[in-house]
Amino acid sequence: MQTLPHFPLQDNVVSLFGLTLLLGLISGELIKRTYFLPKISGYIAIGFLVGPHMLNMVTPSLLSSSRIFVDISLGLILFQLGRHLDFTWLREDPGIIWMSMAEALLTFIFIFATLISFSFYWFNALLGATIAVTTAPAVVMMVADDLAAKGPVTRRTFILTSLNNLIGLILFTLLLASAQSESPFELISLASYRLLGSFFLGIIMFLITLFIAYLTGKYKENQFILFVGSVTFTIGISTILNLSSMLTLFTLGVAARNFNFKNLLTEVDFGWLAKLFFILLFVVTGVHLHINALFQFPGIVLAFLIVRALGKSCGIWLFSKKSRLTAQQSWAICFALTPMAGLALGMSNIISDLNSSLGYQLMSIITTAIAILNIFGPIATQLAFVRSDETTQRFHEDPL
Amino acid sequence: MSVLTAFKENDTYTVGVELELQLVDLKDFNLAMEAKDFLRRLSEIPLPAEIKPEITLAMIEFNSSIHLSYPSLIHELRSLRNIVAREAAQTHIGICGGGAHPFQKWKEQRIFPTERFNTLSEHYGYLAKQLTTFGQHIHIGCKNGDEALYLCHAMARYIPQFIALSAASPFHQGVDTRFDCSRLTTISSFPLSGTPPLGSLTWKEFELYFEKMFNLGVVKSMKDFYWDIRPKPEYGTVELRICDTPLTVDKAADLAAYAQMLIYWLIENQPPFVPDIYLTYSYNRFNAARYGMDAVFIDPKLGQHIPISEQILDTCKQLEPYAKQLNCQPALAGIRTAAYEHKNDASWLRNKYYQFGSLNDMVRSQTALWQANNFLDNI
Repeated sequence: MQTLPHFPLQDNVVSLFGLTLLLGLISGELIKRTYFLPKISGYIAIGFLVGPHMLNMVTPSLLSSSRIFVDISLGLILFQLGRHLDFTWLREDPGIIWMSMAEALLTFIFIFATLISFSFYWFNALLGATIAVTTAPAVVMMVADDLAAKGPVTRRTFILTSLNNLIGLILFTLLLASAQSESPFELISLASYRLLGSFFLGIIMFLITLFIAYLTGKYKENQFILFVGSVTFTIGISTILNLSSMLTLFTLGVAARNFNFKNLLTEVDFGWLAKLFFILLFVVTGVHLHINALFQFPGIVLAFLIVRALGKSCGIWLFSKKSRLTAQQSWAICFALTPMAGLALGMSNIISDLNSSLGYQLMSIITTAIAILNIFGPIATQLAFVRSDETTQRFHEDPL
Repeated sequence: MSVLTAFKENDTYTVGVELELQLVDLKDFNLAMEAKDFLRRLSEIPLPAEIKPEITLAMIEFNSSIHLSYPSLIHELRSLRNIVAREAAQTHIGICGGGAHPFQKWKEQRIFPTERFNTLSEHYGYLAKQLTTFGQHIHIGCKNGDEALYLCHAMARYIPQFIALSAASPFHQGVDTRFDCSRLTTISSFPLSGTPPLGSLTWKEFELYFEKMFNLGVVKSMKDFYWDIRPKPEYGTVELRICDTPLTVDKAADLAAYAQMLIYWLIENQPPFVPDIYLTYSYNRFNAARYGMDAVFIDPKLGQHIPISEQILDTCKQLEPYAKQLNCQPALAGIRTAAYEHKNDASWLRNKYYQFGSLNDMVRSQTALWQANNFLDNI
């Protein structure tokens, strides 16, 4: 009979989405009760639990069907991240640019040198170094939101995350062009198309957003829909044009922050919607993670983690005086920048598909490093905000 | 020996101001919990006057030096404003005037971690966080305690003028309150708000009153009285606490000069204190807070309803000789213009809100106006 279900029962993406949220909610609340682990750890743990390395409940086809949700989540995150990059602040405190350049460059050089010293092929070392530069924006945003963190350390963590993601995205776009090119001319044209095209599309999308804002007025409800619409539309258009959707959305966010001269756009809190997508993103990140390399290549993984932390810390400390930070604030920022972007997973997968020489070893090391930093990174970020006394919730439990 | 600090005697009617200011986040223009770090940054540079913490982390307080009159006061306030604005720009926060932040949520505020503020928070519960409002206090030097108490009562008639002139808090918790000054409602929630007791017209009587309150465990110091005007014996001043923090330091200096001129006039002319002024005190206070420059003052002595703007213009006329003597004609001109035009900072804020259609952008304009430079968008 057509009306009865067929056996075995079929999974579908909608039920996966719902299940992800329910399991994420339960694990997040359970983790919250530990009083030292952030909720994110619970979301990632659930993903890891249902993933192929534990219960194997999520099939690859289901994962690829959920791609649209993950893309929208990443899009919203990159748009928000771009909105943290305020040129006015960089102009008034150039120390931030120096600090960002230093932490990104030192991380890049240290990781590149480390991987080369372990006899990795130079292209693979470049990829590893690029991925290490980025701090996970979703983790920083979610931890800050969960703790209602506000203050100088939180704000600097956001702008430095924004800058190191910009650097990471540019480097990655160049690497991707290099993996797809067979001649220097092809490399230059492809890199120029991807970089300039993404920036250009971001600006065009910003102008369209601005025009619609002009037509629809400055009502928070309208602008909420406007931003979500612009972000999803931009993802689609950049994919069609084979541009970097991540860079395009980042540009859209930066333009919305810095070029809103007539104040047509207002500040919109993605609030509950962002939380839904964030939970999904962390659970899916958990599904992809494994720590195999920790047992197979423990030396390289440990070196990767230590050298990355060293690169970031040296960069921060080199210019902390220039930005007049206290020692406590400098340490807090070093800790807060620890989480490594889950989107690095996507980056390495893309390159791996194009360049078979990437090899199992590097992919495994990167995935393991991301896994470890996704476990300890949110804790480090939380600790940084709490120790800086910039949080209102949980650790300052206050009935008021 | 009295438990109250002896009144420090002053030879001249000096003037000084305290301004509570808002720290705002330049991303969303909500209040920013930055006072601790910002005060640390300010402590690393030389300042012409003192800057102190206030009860919550989104507030700081300017304390001017003691001035003989308006010109040196406005000069100091402007230079302090310039230094502080430059420091704020470096750490990317905004500073603005105004009596209340229009859309901050009081429950999100955090208490500045000092023993006194923690004790207040413990004692007053949610009222402590609701005290995230921003006022201007004006200190005028007095010869002795008796004079200070006379002035506290004699000024009662003029309190509504100061409310109307300084009103700069029309929005509260995201809503247009239809008041020009919504801040006073918060202050009135405190059990020790109001006015000095009518039964203590001399310093001796006041010492007895204070001793009783002290022995009953109600107060520990004069700081515990949140009156609209109070004597400040350790400084030898009367402290007028009724004003909203204006949107500019220039306006703050104008108000301080107006108070100083008025006190010169009161001391020289010694109008007799009429206790009946307190019959309509609360109502006049409400009227001024609600209607600002369009309020009506009910004079219980004359039995008349007088538009507050007319009352201000009359007062300005009687203060003209003192403006000349104290070199504060520009301040008196500013007060007179406000009364003529029926405009105060609340009307400026409402105009900005209707121009932009957003409270965030209104605070952006407020910030640009206070900082008086162009690093923010044009106002």
